[in-house]
Amino acid sequence: MHGNKVAITGVGETPFLRKGEHGVMQMVARASLAAIADAGLTPKDIDGYISNRYSGHGADEIAYAIGAGERRFCAEPDSAGGTATTGHALLLAQLAIEAGLARHVLVTYAIQSTKPGGVYAFHAREPQKAGLEMPAGFYGQPTYFATMANRYAHEFGMTEEEQAAVPITYRAWATITPHAQRREPMDLESYRQSPMISTPLRAADCCLTTDAGCAYVVSAVETARDMPHPVVAVQGVGLGFNNYPQGVLFSQKPCTFDYPGSESAAQAYAMAGVDPKDLDLAQVYDGFTISAIVQTEMLGLCERGEGARFYAAGHARPGGRMPVNTSGGHMSGGYVPGINLLIEGVRQLRGREGERQVPEARLCAVAGLGGNNHATTILARS
Amino acid sequence: MGVPIYPIRIEDLLFQGFYDGLAAGELRVTADAETGEWVWYPPEVIPGKPDAKLEWRSVGTEGSAYSFTTVARSLLPGDHREEVPFTVILFEPDAAPGVRVPGILIDAGGVEPACGMRLRFRPVEAGDHWIAGFAPVPA
Repeated sequence: MHGNKVAITGVGETPFLRKGEHGVMQMVARASLAAIADAGLTPKDIDGYISNRYSGHGADEIAYAIGAGERRFCAEPDSAGGTATTGHALLLAQLAIEAGLARHVLVTYAIQSTKPGGVYAFHAREPQKAGLEMPAGFYGQPTYFATMANRYAHEFGMTEEEQAAVPITYRAWATITPHAQRREPMDLESYRQSPMISTPLRAADCCLTTDAGCAYVVSAVETARDMPHPVVAVQGVGLGFNNYPQGVLFSQKPCTFDYPGSESAAQAYAMAGVDPKDLDLAQVYDGFTISAIVQTEMLGLCERGEGARFYAAGHARPGGRMPVNTSGGHMSGGYVPGINLLIEGVRQLRGREGERQVPEARLCAVAGLGGNNHATTILARS
Repeated sequence: MGVPIYPIRIEDLLFQGFYDGLAAGELRVTADAETGEWVWYPPEVIPGKPDAKLEWRSVGTEGSAYSFTTVARSLLPGDHREEVPFTVILFEPDAAPGVRVPGILIDAGGVEPACGMRLRFRPVEAGDHWIAGFAPVPA
């Protein structure tokens, strides 16, 4: 597979809300119609669909909801949202477009974090978690990732100030992002007032609870040249997988924070023909501070074990040498797994984001963690 | 420190041996009955050997902490506010390299949890069942 064959030609989302009034299907439909309009298309132009089982609706329901025309291609990545939306879906869309199966592929994801059972309910259905971990109180993503953070700190060292620098950095971007969910400034003092969830992770170290939907349209680069926006091409995509099922992933993997991000990044850089020093900015899946730190390292933005200190040095802040999560990420901007980070990458490369615009941005990496999978995508303004 | 109270899934026979062990005062994990290789958590299928059998084996009481976290807000379904804080330990038994058993820190006496700390197993009552407890071993 080669880079610069497909482009992201339309993006759209609904407002990022702590508790919204709309169901998942309504949010998917609204975001989809916004993305289609952004691409200068109508629903009748969409002939390919990539949905996601974690989001809860198939291509047939989405096509029906947006009033689409002929549905010629549909697929569902076998990966969780963060990986699916930031890379796996792009790979499938490119395969479909290059094979002539579709001309414009719609990728969607919506989340209703406030639904009954909460965002962790799916873990309770995993036999090992229900049988062995939940009775010991080891349950919920903040708790899993907290054990990773303590192990990381044991191996590499990480002070409270260094850890706090990650959410403080993302909040700095959110304060200049009009559609961000949390825009009030955060410093070390206000970080310390954030409730402790599971040591060392405070609420500020966790992604937001969000109700929102997002969507984007993928088209051939040649087609994109005649569409409304500057062409933002997919220059490289890489996927990393491991074979640890969710039930054992957070406890039994030899290194619990060794996500397959180095593998996905190596593939993406090779396909794109670039390396980390060529990047102008990055979007990193920040489910939790620790996972953002590790993926920042895996993207090659800093050395292994130096992620927290990279943030503490201010490199990722507005005006820094490598801006990261320029709309506030999942911790301050809004949490629709992976996809709103990818959309922000596209918007930065279009170059019209006002106060938060990264000057002359032409190359953006997007890293997406999804359980035992990981995606890295290199977006380029061509 | 508190103790998490959450019902065990006794209907799932995959894990019965673990709780039978706790009730008998032993920490038991699963191994390939033929080769003795540790296979943990107990899977429905031993990797690559769908017809192989698991057996439960005691792993003694001594080991160390791979990692830990002190839970201030329990995310278990239901109301668990009375049970926090408690410290979850991922315990690595000396006798079973590569195995990690979830449990809680007990009898800490002011000792702060840490990765690599030496621990000794003891079962702890949690409502109507037992869970694994791990107490610091004085240096």
